[in-house]
Amino acid sequence: MVRVKNRYLVVNFLYPSTTPPSTSTSSFKDLPSLLQLHQPTPDTFHAGLLLRAIRDGVTELFGDYGMGMVSSSLKVNYHSPATSTSIIRCPQAHYQMVWAALTYMTALPRPIGTPVVVKVVRVSGTIKMAELEVIRRAKDIILRAKMEQRGGGGGIKGMGAGMGMVGHIMKTVEKRREEVLVRVEEAEEESESE
Amino acid sequence: MFYDLNVPWTDNTRELQRTVAFLDELGYDVVALTHTFTGRLPADLTSPVPRPLPFPTPSRLRILRRCNIFLTDAATNHRIPQLQQHYDIIAARPTDERTLQQACASLDIDLISLDLTQRFEKYFKFPMLGTAIARGVKIELCYSQGLLTGDATAKRNLISNATQLIRVSRGRGLIFSSEARSVMAVRAPSDVINLASVWGLGHERGKDGLTKEARSVVEFARLKRESFRGVVDVVYGGEKPVPDVVDKNKRAPKKGTPVSQSGEGKPMSNRQKKRNKKMDEDADKNTV
Repeated sequence: MVRVKNRYLVVNFLYPSTTPPSTSTSSFKDLPSLLQLHQPTPDTFHAGLLLRAIRDGVTELFGDYGMGMVSSSLKVNYHSPATSTSIIRCPQAHYQMVWAALTYMTALPRPIGTPVVVKVVRVSGTIKMAELEVIRRAKDIILRAKMEQRGGGGGIKGMGAGMGMVGHIMKTVEKRREEVLVRVEEAEEESESE
Repeated sequence: MFYDLNVPWTDNTRELQRTVAFLDELGYDVVALTHTFTGRLPADLTSPVPRPLPFPTPSRLRILRRCNIFLTDAATNHRIPQLQQHYDIIAARPTDERTLQQACASLDIDLISLDLTQRFEKYFKFPMLGTAIARGVKIELCYSQGLLTGDATAKRNLISNATQLIRVSRGRGLIFSSEARSVMAVRAPSDVINLASVWGLGHERGKDGLTKEARSVVEFARLKRESFRGVVDVVYGGEKPVPDVVDKNKRAPKKGTPVSQSGEGKPMSNRQKKRNKKMDEDADKNTV
């Protein structure tokens, strides 16, 4: 059966500069750097604003042609300010335009204006795989934050744990190395539900 | 292994530390801190980048030192060999047609880094860039100015120059680096590769620009400095395992970066096992 083919971009919003969010507290400085980087997006940045930001970006980079190509199926399927994660749907043939527009984004749109770095984490052919990826990422980041905290607390205890601990860390590092590159699915997965 | 070979060195250590930490978080493995010489070379060429750095760096990350020299007149060029003692990578930034020609054809440098936000009067030509690439001198594209400036013409120039360089060099010998003056201008490797593919380089070549080509720059530069006439080098080839090694971590760190890490040796074949067993048995008989 012929159907409209889409790509789903899983996107992370990262905040590497330390300008604290509107609710600036003294405890903010004490957060681990990992959490500072992955801090929640302001609630005022909702899905509609994200969509408009992408539209503006595509128009700026690719003009009316790009906008026409992309807009047929551009949609924000999932947007979670708490984890700074979104899933964006776009046409299969032109997902690179949307990706480039996201790369060129340097700040959240006008009323908020926080500097941001947008990172595409996964390009998927079905929304199911994109969702699974979001869940996996969220679990992973919690684990890493916990490990970092533990590493800061008792360094000597970690040393005593021996080869098992070292092996575990090595494995995590190896796993991270695999994840640096975004997996782009070329083969379309069959899904009957769509 | 992902390389970002151009992060400008500043005295603002907090900003730099943040940039380096963010690069590590994004998955880069090697970062080069750049010091730029403007105008004539000073008498004292030692690098202002202290070693070790004044802030803690992630252990996974390798930090290199690099210098940029502006090529304006031929007078300063004879001091490039002196620079090699102080820096890991030497990059040249030609300002006009003649110096670009010189940099491509004869200068003893590792990288050619062009200011892509400018408009060049002449087209680049393949014979010129081809000689550079054949010599192992790569050409660098810095993407950050296009991201951060509000100046539309700079952005346009960057895209037009980048696509032109990709066309002229036929996709060979190009390197992508950030030249990020602040944290916000750094992008993840995949995003850069996508940008390259939008500019017409293709995914594979784009990936090479962050990994293979960049590695070859680093390794060529190292070989130039440490090996015998850039031809013969002694590398650490491992050592015979001592049966009761207590501390494996004390082994000397390896120089350079391995292309791939080989695992354990092949498992013994069944035939070999049989043969060994037989030999043992024979030896036992003889002793008895």
